[in-house]
Amino acid sequence: MVVLLSLTFVSTAGAEYYIYWWQQNMAPNAQGYDRLTAHNHIYNELYFGANAGWRSEVWEVTPAGYRHFDKWCVGNCFNAHPGYYYTYSFCSNRDGGTHFVYDCKDQW
Amino acid sequence: MRKRHIQFGVAVLVAVATAGLLTQLGLGGSDKVQIGNGSVAALANAGRAADTLPQSVLDYPFAGRNFAAPNGGGSRLLQEQGSLKLYAVPGKGGMLCLVEADSVAQTAGGACADRDILRTGSIYMADRQEDGSRLVVGLVGDGHTYAEANGKRVPVQNNAFVLNDVEGGDLTLGSPSASQHVDLGG
Repeated sequence: MVVLLSLTFVSTAGAEYYIYWWQQNMAPNAQGYDRLTAHNHIYNELYFGANAGWRSEVWEVTPAGYRHFDKWCVGNCFNAHPGYYYTYSFCSNRDGGTHFVYDCKDQW
Repeated sequence: MRKRHIQFGVAVLVAVATAGLLTQLGLGGSDKVQIGNGSVAALANAGRAADTLPQSVLDYPFAGRNFAAPNGGGSRLLQEQGSLKLYAVPGKGGMLCLVEADSVAQTAGGACADRDILRTGSIYMADRQEDGSRLVVGLVGDGHTYAEANGKRVPVQNNAFVLNDVEGGDLTLGSPSASQHVDLGG
């Protein structure tokens, strides 16, 4: 059975990002991952071939360690999102750090 | 003689109980409750212009690998909630696909699995939201009437459901006479 992680991106300058995934025939705590150079990541795909009903999960982690674009699904699946969310779309919070734009919190 | 009968009876009971336990563990227990036969009435609806998948979805390599027709032929719009649209798409090799597209968030996702999975569950996707909860969308077969998580129940409409603010990984699907547990994972 084919297991494929397809990644589509356009290059940008900057830090590294990480893609992780898990699927049902891996141990519960195991993770697949792909470490890429800086890029504007817009698309993840998990492909197990026809007739697969495996549960799976694919997510991304920012350089700051924030998990986002986290998707669980069954069978072959994909997750596409706009690049502008990712390319330095961070917010600066009270703690002086930067966070992924989805994780901006006024209490930080 | 009587003692032997009692011993035999106990042995049979233990064997039956053990077999039942192993069956539940091995086959997933209540996960295997069946509802319907995997048919999806929505796919038989007359086609409309609104049923056409967004071109951006068709352009992803996922479409070529999974859809029965490269142009997504036979797709049907199942539900529309705000900017979120859910489609059912015939897949290759007996698969069915669920596609979600959000025109405001500019996001899209899809899941394809064997049609048989609709008898014991759903072709679903769950997306982590900003607050940590999950947005769960699913394609279910005929006969399913509701989806439920965290005590919140939503009706199945046109073979699809949308559940917002799902905490944890437990999903229940049901009909008037049966229910199924689905482990979303995570």
